[in-house]
Amino acid sequence: MTRASLMIVLALIAIPTVAIAVADPRRDAILADLSTEAMTVDSAFAGFDAVRGKTFWFASQTGGKPDTPSCTTCHTKDPKAAGQTRAGKDIKPMAVSKTPDRFTDPEKIAKWFLRNCKTVLGRECTAGEKGDVITFLANQ
Amino acid sequence: MSGQPPEGVPDWSKVWDLSTRLFHWLLVAAVFISGTTGFFGQASGLDWHVWSGYAIGALVIWRLIWGMFGSEYARTDRLFAALRNLRAHIDGLLRLSPTHYAGHNPAGSLMIIGLIAVLLSIVVSGIVVLGGAEKQGVLAGVTSYTVGHLAKGVHQVLAYLLVVMIVGHLGGVIAEIVLLKVPLVRGMITGWLPAGGEGEAARVRKARPVLALISAGLVAVGIGALALPLSAIPALGVPAPVTANAAFVKECGSCHWPFHPNLLPRASWKAVMGSLDQHFGEDASLAEKPAAAIAAYLDANAAETADTEAANRLREVSAAEPRRITETPFWQHMHHGLRPETFKSPAVKTKSNCLACHADAATGRFDDQMIDVPHQLLTGGTP
Repeated sequence: MTRASLMIVLALIAIPTVAIAVADPRRDAILADLSTEAMTVDSAFAGFDAVRGKTFWFASQTGGKPDTPSCTTCHTKDPKAAGQTRAGKDIKPMAVSKTPDRFTDPEKIAKWFLRNCKTVLGRECTAGEKGDVITFLANQ
Repeated sequence: MSGQPPEGVPDWSKVWDLSTRLFHWLLVAAVFISGTTGFFGQASGLDWHVWSGYAIGALVIWRLIWGMFGSEYARTDRLFAALRNLRAHIDGLLRLSPTHYAGHNPAGSLMIIGLIAVLLSIVVSGIVVLGGAEKQGVLAGVTSYTVGHLAKGVHQVLAYLLVVMIVGHLGGVIAEIVLLKVPLVRGMITGWLPAGGEGEAARVRKARPVLALISAGLVAVGIGALALPLSAIPALGVPAPVTANAAFVKECGSCHWPFHPNLLPRASWKAVMGSLDQHFGEDASLAEKPAAAIAAYLDANAAETADTEAANRLREVSAAEPRRITETPFWQHMHHGLRPETFKSPAVKTKSNCLACHADAATGRFDDQMIDVPHQLLTGGTP
């Protein structure tokens, strides 16, 4: 095996590895900020949890607007699938494996968590809830 | 067939020349298309109505020119001359024994003068409606919606009048066929009809086709010289497309189709922007900066700033739901024929999805011809 073909094989092996690990420094920074915020509220905070995020994502809420009891009302029960707004517009999949630039823009995150938490829960989400949901969806 | 008189009948005249016969039947076809599309057609078929209307205008103008330069029986002055015998002719009709005329009899002459006047008025008023209400055609740049809307009333009344006149015209033809046994329909196809009473065609003028064509050319140049600069004027009060405002499209367009601001009046947009946390069942709060920019855009481009049909009619909002375009009386009037399933179908999804059927919704124009309701929704099939 020549040196060049060895490089190609190695590169081919590397591609799926890169695709699965969708880490993005911008997202890491956002999660770090949320983590700091969560700790100021709760000193016992021990890091974000994808399982907790998943439970939150699928939970049925009662505090918000009647037409939108859950995250999945618009985003569907499959994070890898496209969702739909109540007015019929497509929402790109929330799973980071499908939409790699999810949770990389702090302004966008602030805007949509504020709106959607108020719509679904009737209140703003805590830093812990936001971080859990992002961690859950970043691994989808 | 048309070159010879029917055999065995000595006293026949070539009454209707080729131009007159062609004019008659082409006019029948154009009026039929205009009438059916106008009375029964879908809005999306407006082009058929408009172009058959232009054809009517061109045919009538040509007929007026031919009335000056055509062969004897086609001449317009004969129509007016015949009116002198109108009273005697009607007396004859009432006794069921009218006098036969080779060309237009006095009652027919009156009808032809009336038909030409009404047809021309319908064409002119139609062009005003097209310019003012639809913002299309040569007058789009100089006609306000108010004028176009008024012209629409005139156009409609004249159209009903035309229907009555066509019935009268056919009645006259049938009366003459029955009472005088004159084959009028065949005459309008072959041109040959029994000669009229003595002295009727004492003066037989020949057609001057070259003069007629030159005149038609001059009239066409004249109309073109008037129409070309007029149609170069941008349509009056037609707004910039909503896509021109990136912030509005980004913020509002992420959840719903970004409605053109000319679809609601200022007060309604103010109410929308003042209640974003209670936005049709959702919290749609915006940061201060984009909210201010969007509010300014909506205010500067609200319905009051445009002169399209939509902008004029949607200014009147529902008192109970002033923020909902779909609750305005005009929206409901224009969509009442559509079934509720139409709006829930996968192709449309919601009443707020203007773009599903109005291909030019982003421009704010909402042209009739741009409407395309997905086919399966009209026929009732499941998509």
